[in-house]
Parts: sequence; C-alpha cells; structure tokens
Amino acid sequence: MSEERFVSRGFVGKRRGGEKKERIPPGQYLTNDFPVLSAGPTPYTPLDKWTFAIDGLVKDKVSWSWDEFNQLPMQNYVVDISCVTKWTHLDMKWEGVSLDILLEHAELDPKAAFVTAYSDGGYTTNMPLTHIINGQSFIALKYDDKPLAPEHGGPARMVVPHLYFWKSAKWVRGITLMEKDRPGFWESAGYHNLGDPWKEQRYWND
Amino acid sequence: MKPTLDWQIATITDSKPETDKVKSFTLTLPSWTRHRAGQHYDIRLTAEDGYQTQRSYSIASEPEREGEVDITVERIEDGEVSTYLHDVVINGDKVEARGPIGGYFVWEAGLLPAPLLLIAGGSGVVPLMSMLRHRHAARANNATALLYSSRSFEDIIYYEELERLGRADSGLQVFHTLTRSQPAGWKGYARRIDEEMLREIADPLGEAVQVFICGPTLMVESAANGLVKIGVQSNQIRTERFGPTGG
Amino acid sequence: MEETRDINRELMLDANGVASLLFDVFGAEMTAEKTECAYCGNEDRMGTLLAFTHGPGVVLRCSACENVMIRIVQTPDSFYLDARGAVYLRLKTHRPPPPNDALGG
Repeated sequence: MSEERFVSRGFVGKRRGGEKKERIPPGQYLTNDFPVLSAGPTPYTPLDKWTFAIDGLVKDKVSWSWDEFNQLPMQNYVVDISCVTKWTHLDMKWEGVSLDILLEHAELDPKAAFVTAYSDGGYTTNMPLTHIINGQSFIALKYDDKPLAPEHGGPARMVVPHLYFWKSAKWVRGITLMEKDRPGFWESAGYHNLGDPWKEQRYWND
Repeated sequence: MKPTLDWQIATITDSKPETDKVKSFTLTLPSWTRHRAGQHYDIRLTAEDGYQTQRSYSIASEPEREGEVDITVERIEDGEVSTYLHDVVINGDKVEARGPIGGYFVWEAGLLPAPLLLIAGGSGVVPLMSMLRHRHAARANNATALLYSSRSFEDIIYYEELERLGRADSGLQVFHTLTRSQPAGWKGYARRIDEEMLREIADPLGEAVQVFICGPTLMVESAANGLVKIGVQSNQIRTERFGPTGG
Repeated sequence: MEETRDINRELMLDANGVASLLFDVFGAEMTAEKTECAYCGNEDRMGTLLAFTHGPGVVLRCSACENVMIRIVQTPDSFYLDARGAVYLRLKTHRPPPPNDALGG
C-alpha cells in the first residue's frame, strides 16, 4: 500500500524549469544570484606573497608572482555555471588566464594524467588532465568586470565550467600534476570523482 | 540511543504579527514533548512535485505550555520558507514538524539557579524569550538581565511583553540598545554592544553569572569577546549563531 | 576604519545550527556532548564547533584552531562522515547500564 505523502498547501518553492530549460542541467534551478558557498573562513594572502605554481610531474616547478601572473594574456569568458547545491547561473562573465597558456610554461612528464588544484585554507579538488586543457578551464581574476571578491575566491580562482562548481577551486594557488588520481576535499567524502552536471554526477555511485 | 525523532503533522492554530517583518505562529502538536527553553523545531515543507525543504526555528514559548509551541519567524525577502509562512499560511494549515532538538544552548530554571545574562541580536531574541517565559512560569528568582540589540525601535520583537515581565519582577532587568536609529526621548542605549555596556550590565550579576548569547555571527562573537575581556570565563558563556539572515 | 567584511565568516554558524543533522547522522543529541580536537587538543562541547553549512556538505571546525574536525555529506540515500579531526565523539545511550555480572557466563 503506498503511503500518502504530506503536501504543504500552496507551497511551490524555488522556481525550477521554465524558460531556458535546455541550458539547465537535470535537477538544477536557475538563479541570477551568485551564492557564497564555503567550507571555512575566507583565507587571505597578501598579493606580494601570492604565487601560482604548476608542480608535481613536471620537469621543473613553474611559478608566477601576482605581478607576473597579471602580465599573462587574459581572455574574456562567458559561461554557464552549475553548483551541486542545485543552482545554475547562465552567462557568467569572467576574465582570466587559460590553463593551456599556463601549461605551455611547464614541461609535463608523460606520466602526468591527473591534476589536483590546491588552495589557501587547505581545499583541494581533482580532475583528469584531459578535462582542464583545450580551453576547458581558466584561472579567473575578474568576475563581472570587477576584481574577484574574496568571498568568491579572490584574488584568483580556478574555473572549470563543464563540471560542477566545487571543481572550480576558490583561492587557488596552484595545480599539481600526478600520475594517479587523488580525490580532493569533497571527492573523498561522497562527492563524485568527476562531476559532470549533464550526467548528474553528484555523488559516488551516480 | 534515544528513539528517532519523528516528523509529525502540526496544525497552525494562531498567528500574531510582532513587527512588520516578524510573525509568531502557534503550532499545535499531536505528539507534544515538553521542551527545554533554547531548543528548536524543524519545519518541513513539501510541494506537489515532491520538492522538499526544511528550516530550524527556535521555540519561543515556555515548556510549561502544553500541547503546542510558538515559533517566531522573520520574513526574509527571498526566503522560501519564511515567505510561505508569512504570506500563504492561514490558521488550520498544517506543516510537518520535528523536535524538540538541541542540548547545548538550553536553560532550565531548576537546574541552573545562577544569575543569568541573556544577550540578543535581532531575531536571536527568540530562544532567549523562551528562557524568560520559562523563568516567569517557573517562578524562578535568579537575578537576570536581558541585553537586546535591535536596529530601531520598530524592530524590537516582544517589546510590550518584555516591559511587562520586567515591571512584574524586580529580579529581571531588560536593557535595549538601538544601533541605527532611536525615537525621540529614547532613554536606552544607542550603540553597538561594547565592553562598557557589558560591564555595566554584567557587573551587578556577579562572578557566577551564566551567559547566553544569540544573534548574527559577528554580533555574537563581538559580545563573547567583550565579556571575556571584562573577566567572564569563556566556559560561562554559551552562544548560538544565527547567521546573517534566517531564510 | 573600514572593516574588511568576511562574508564566509558571517555565514558561519555553530553546531547548534546543525543539531538536527547531527541527530540524523548519530541518532543522538550531540551538541551538549564534549569532543576533542585532534589537531590542537581543545576539548569543548560540540555546540561550540564552528559550522560552515553553505556548501556541498557541512564542515565543523574547532573553535580554537579552526581546523576541520568533522565533515558530513548528505546524499539521497546516505550520509558520509569524516570525523578524523575529532579524537572522540560521545554518543549518549539511553539504555539502562547492564548488571555487573553481564560479562559472566
């Protein structure tokens, strides 16, 4: 016998679906906000101490200071972002440096197959190398034409638009090239190792 | 371990505006369990398509009132649940409720006879009001002070009732501070809580004072740090952070 | 002097704000129980832990050193729990204590 579920009279909740449905991955709702999500207090690194590095399975570690990083070629990006907490924000405007450009400066070991992005405050997230190259990811310094706010990961965060937003490490300080995949902060506690929103890869066993 | 806390279907049997953004609701519970002042209930809403969301609300009423609990809810502009409660719900409507929950931020008149200092910021006053209503119903006589920070006079929740409680009981002092604007002739404090204010209010309560602070995170931390600076031990202070908004 | 606003800190709660989740995970009222930080040794009631709830999961941090003590992820059919940052957790039972000779033959 099926249990009748209690329904709250007149409750609709957040708008789901509607216009632009085909651009919203399954299970997501559309928002024009930029929710602040965090696992800890905002880390701060003074810009004169900030560096971004590529290390691990590379011939020599490469690193840029803030000034050096800002000399790199920047691009404008307009991308849709989906967070595993179910919000999707379309056409978010960013400005940053492509990972392709950064990787050009490093000589990768042929065994390098995975990356771990690491951030101030200890956060890590992992991806196959094939998912960050060929225009698939960038290090963002600006959002909506303004310098990236600290609560959103400023001064610099990684952005990997085709995966759930937890892969877009805030306060990023570098990537480590690795031979074996190593699950990061959320991937080691139930969240899907890859995280493709179109396949709704939220959790392990999805 | 305790049996599972089950969801039950509560009926909203009364509602009362407290300020222009804050409303109290009375929930009649088929399986009412006597709560402790400071605890809360979870409220869960389910839409036709199965979408669910839930929030926790501090119990505003005293445990001595059987069969029902009051919750006091601030209406948040984009809040899914608070706007539903404020704008849609009418007496007779039902919501799923589960509780009472909480074991740390609680006060029982019989168990803790020490002098009491309650510090509230905005809607953080709700669990502390449960404590004051319980104190009154239990006819407790421990020296008690409430320091309640609000932005303006119109934002003060339970103003009349707090005045009545304070007048009826010489052991209870109610202090208000209004941080943004004050009405003409205002005689209370008119600034953010600071060490001087805390010292004036805490000193008469003595060294054994037990403190409960509830409100937005920054206010709670600032008040707690201020108390430590004036000599209150941190193990005498219990805090509940409400975050910047309710939802 | 302008205060730098840390929105992540403002959104922070303490473990009282996740008391229901802790009840669901542990089947017991947890906020009044003591626990010890594995990083700095600070011992305090769980209600004092700093809670970060606006994210893919809940993170509870030591109020003294702010290291991660507990992570909880809730999926449609399970909880994932990482409590490596806590030396111990105490789950209070409500069964009467066994009689002294319970371990005998």
